[in-house]
Amino acid sequence: MSGWAFYATTLLVYLGVDIMAVWGLNLQYGVAGVYNFGFIVFQAVGAYVGAVLTLGPSSSNGGFQAYIIGANLPFPIPILAAGVVSGLLSVVVGVITLRRLRTDYQAMVFLVLSVAATLFVTNDTGLFNGPAGLSLIPQPLSSLVNPSSINWQWLYVGITAAFCIVIYLFVHRVTSSPLGRTLRAIRDNEDAARALGKDVMRMRLFIFVMGNVIAGISGAVLVQFIGAWSPGSWLYVETFVFFTAIIVGGTGNDAGVMLGALLVPVAFNEITRYLPQIGRPGLIDAIQWIVIGALALVFLWFWPRGVIPERRRRFARAPAPVETPTEAMQDTTYAIEGG
Amino acid sequence: MLTSASAFVPSIGFGLVTASILALAAVGFTLQFGITNILNLAYGDLMTASAYIGWVVNQHGGSIAESLLAGAAFGAVSSVLLNRLVYTPFLRRGTGLFGMVIVTLSVGVMVQNALLAIGGATFFTYNFNVGATVHPLGFDLATSQLVIMAIAVGGMIVVQTLLTQTRLGKAMRATAANRSLAQASGIATERVVDAAWLISGVLCGLAGVVLVLNTTAFQSTTGSEFLVVIIAAAMLGGVGRPSGAMVGALVLGLVTEVSAAFVSPSYKELFAFIVLVIVLLVRPTGIFSQFAGGSRQVAA
Repeated sequence: MSGWAFYATTLLVYLGVDIMAVWGLNLQYGVAGVYNFGFIVFQAVGAYVGAVLTLGPSSSNGGFQAYIIGANLPFPIPILAAGVVSGLLSVVVGVITLRRLRTDYQAMVFLVLSVAATLFVTNDTGLFNGPAGLSLIPQPLSSLVNPSSINWQWLYVGITAAFCIVIYLFVHRVTSSPLGRTLRAIRDNEDAARALGKDVMRMRLFIFVMGNVIAGISGAVLVQFIGAWSPGSWLYVETFVFFTAIIVGGTGNDAGVMLGALLVPVAFNEITRYLPQIGRPGLIDAIQWIVIGALALVFLWFWPRGVIPERRRRFARAPAPVETPTEAMQDTTYAIEGG
Repeated sequence: MLTSASAFVPSIGFGLVTASILALAAVGFTLQFGITNILNLAYGDLMTASAYIGWVVNQHGGSIAESLLAGAAFGAVSSVLLNRLVYTPFLRRGTGLFGMVIVTLSVGVMVQNALLAIGGATFFTYNFNVGATVHPLGFDLATSQLVIMAIAVGGMIVVQTLLTQTRLGKAMRATAANRSLAQASGIATERVVDAAWLISGVLCGLAGVVLVLNTTAFQSTTGSEFLVVIIAAAMLGGVGRPSGAMVGALVLGLVTEVSAAFVSPSYKELFAFIVLVIVLLVRPTGIFSQFAGGSRQVAA
């Protein structure tokens, strides 16, 4: 019985982390139309920052892993710091890419960034212990509750849920405010938004940074739970899983993408865990990726707006009738004729 | 890690080999993108699949020339079919720019993992003799690497001649510049698009086989890892410009191999990325763009 409880609580934490991540990515892609193919990098940054701020100095545990900092800070400072660092890095990346590049160029640069970052962390063994990654990351509040007990599992489900609620309130506030309306306007017609005097670049940068702060927090929440993190955890295709979750759930819809997070990364990855191992090792993994790819294609073909489509927004007041330019010109002509 | 000046000349030689492979791949990638406006992220995985077909031919006693032909043929046929059976139907259905990126990424993930499912999580090695080491201009190159360079130079000459000297080339450049205007002028743009996928597929297949001839071993992720450097080379030269991609490939080939000799081989892709970022900071649409830039360029 307790085995099931452990399993269920673990799934709940994964679900919470994935929900936070898709909310962050949905802010960027679904709401503002920023094609961040390097999203997973910012989750990874959060995870690494969360890890090295929680871990003691690199020389502890016999110095079997090499990493920077090792500040040994208590919960929740590492998680909050992860969001800050992820956000600062996004400002740098965003200023370079969002300011001057076409959208398709941006998507390419983010993809290149994602792969280059993985190679960098893998090859620089002194930064975050290279390809082996970090492990034995202390679990938060373990001095209060035994971290291998079911109580600690439930405690962490509560912590994850608390972060989810705070992030939901923020995301909801952004999407339902005039700011959200501006972002959707930029997404739907960038030139029109600019013509109306909206600072497209600043809005995009803001939402890019906010989405990545959320990614960073989700990464830190995850790493404090699983206690390990390595370059294999954040390959560029992981971003594709989040995109698939958003497309399946309903692009631009907070509830929809939440459902997507439940269906794609959580349900999908966990169902296959119970399939009998057939064929050579890795075959199930390969088939799982093929099916995720097929899922994205099927949804883009049949239900491009997802299971729960973005709702049509209604406004209380009908827009005032606008004189078309031709009518205005005609008026002038009449005026001239009349004069 | 070599730091002496004697490592410099050989690293230039390796740089030219990498540039040759990169040029084949980047020209194919950018040519297709310029004409169809589809960012084909499955390109790298099609390279791996072509290399795999070449490997199968090689394992059945085929020569390297036969492997190259098989790879090129597979690349061409699969690219045309991919466009006809997947990409064009999605475009007709109204899938937008971003949706198409996800479509190509899905196809790439599926191809890569199909290879993994069929071939297994192992390294594949071609059976062939790289030939004697030769020292032209002080380089240390295997005969096979000279052949790779010759294929690339030949391929570039053919592509350049095709684009500048033939009717098809003219039609392709017109379609790339303005598809609806080209169509209105009586160009059969659908056939031009097919031709673009075909040529891009031949280059993709050739690049896939020569990539693994140079590194000798490959796995299911080899092509998609290389795709990042391909994109960087294409962006460096301005996406959609085949001649720009050739120069971009040359720059990145030299930068990666020289940095590998003097700093560390582990960081060579990172150096490629740094070069890309610096160029994009200065010239957002590549080294050859005019300052006025493309029509969709965002004002800074």
